[in-house]
Amino acid sequence: MSLHKAFEKGKFVVTSEIGPPKGTDTDDIRRLVDLYRGAVDAINATDNQSAVMRMSSLAVCKIILERGAEPILQMTCRDRNRIGLQSDLLGAHALGIRNVVVMTGDHVLAGDHRQAKPVYDVESVQLLNIINSLNNGADMAGNALKGNTCFFAGAVVTPEANPLEPQLMKFAKKIQAGAKYFQTQAIYDITMFKVFMGHARRHQAKVLAGIVVLKNERMAKYLNDNVAGIRVPQDLIAELAAAPNREEKQKAGIRIAARHIRRLREERICDGVHIMAIGMEGSVPAIMQQAGLLE
Amino acid sequence: MIITKKRDTKAVLENIRNYRRIFLVGCGECAALCATGGRPQLEQMKELLHAHGKEVTGMHLAKTGCQVLGTKRELSPHKEAIAAADCILALSCGAGAQTVVELNEDKPVCSANDSMYLGNMTRHQVFDERCSMCGECILDKTAGICPVTACPKGILIGPCGGVADGKCEVSPDLPCVWIRIYERMKKLDQLDEFSASVPSPKDWSRGARPHNGNAKEPKNSR
Repeated sequence: MSLHKAFEKGKFVVTSEIGPPKGTDTDDIRRLVDLYRGAVDAINATDNQSAVMRMSSLAVCKIILERGAEPILQMTCRDRNRIGLQSDLLGAHALGIRNVVVMTGDHVLAGDHRQAKPVYDVESVQLLNIINSLNNGADMAGNALKGNTCFFAGAVVTPEANPLEPQLMKFAKKIQAGAKYFQTQAIYDITMFKVFMGHARRHQAKVLAGIVVLKNERMAKYLNDNVAGIRVPQDLIAELAAAPNREEKQKAGIRIAARHIRRLREERICDGVHIMAIGMEGSVPAIMQQAGLLE
Repeated sequence: MIITKKRDTKAVLENIRNYRRIFLVGCGECAALCATGGRPQLEQMKELLHAHGKEVTGMHLAKTGCQVLGTKRELSPHKEAIAAADCILALSCGAGAQTVVELNEDKPVCSANDSMYLGNMTRHQVFDERCSMCGECILDKTAGICPVTACPKGILIGPCGGVADGKCEVSPDLPCVWIRIYERMKKLDQLDEFSASVPSPKDWSRGARPHNGNAKEPKNSR
């Protein structure tokens, strides 16, 4: 079932993601698609995440598709100008890719090619406008296309941004520009998230809460200190710290993720979740099982 | 003003390694204010070159190094000293250095500085960058603060997801320009404009290089 259909049917949607490999070995991609297929509704292929050079998300989306799963093409504005972005969008559509999620993209200074020229010819709201235009049969310069696209466009948002108001304004602009769904930055505080959802519910767009699976308390502290817009509360850090060993800590991380997902679904707080199990991809089915999402 | 930075001494000496007799040109405008090409820097460079076995045939502090005709006039009394030099070393920005190139077709010119950006001087020899000279000013839509320049991504609709407690993902010392714009718009009671506007992507053709222009009014317009 397409991602669009899954939302339309009112399903509690689950998406996850695959970080493309650094190199040409695609075994891990196939293994992960096999693991996720049937469990999640769609799989993101991330776009040179953290500005670290990897295989293109477009190629990985094609592999996901061939393997029988629903891909979401992640597209940042960091590495391509408006010509490159539109050209890749047309190519993605020709290859059967229908979901795109756009974002500005981490600065090159965060990555492994710090001397690269950052592009940012357009940014996320403008890229959504471009996709809208391609869907309507014209490129952004107004030239007619022979065959238009029919992308289902989404974007990202940081529910715990500080200050929140400008983030909410940009969120509204993204919806205006055609974003139909959002994958959020990782959330760990459901009460805070509900505040954000109070604002988000004034709009039609679907919201998938970001779930990053915690491996241990060290990872939680790292996220708090280093990643913009993520705040792991102290009680969760304590819960991880209380587990005696590596395995038990991972189990605690899985338990926390499952508990949050179950609550988000049962209380109908949002429309689904986007699970990012960085380095713990194998745990996704277990998380979904514990959350009551799998039979 | 154009902000310049002295190049590493080693790099300067490496670039002029094949030349023994050097003529120095500084600039009395920006480079003087940046302490990269004023009178004291010319004197320091002269000493440095002497210490490395070079001969300085002469030096000149141009009034405005990027002003070609004026610099040409100023340099004419130095004709002999320049003729005696194997190379001219420019202690200015790249524009000033290329004035010297234009005026000395048969003489190698090396640059002692790196040209960095168009900057505002906030205190003595302290600078920051506020304008990118992009060719299409949007200050009227951004509460007078330029995101093309002050955002490392140059994004026109902000803030991006990298902002943490009002600071930029690129550096915790850098306030997010879009939060600054937001705060100023709030103060100026312009937030409605902030939420309504989606600026179209920039027209980079207006910044296409190289630029040239003529500020004279056409005669027939009078």
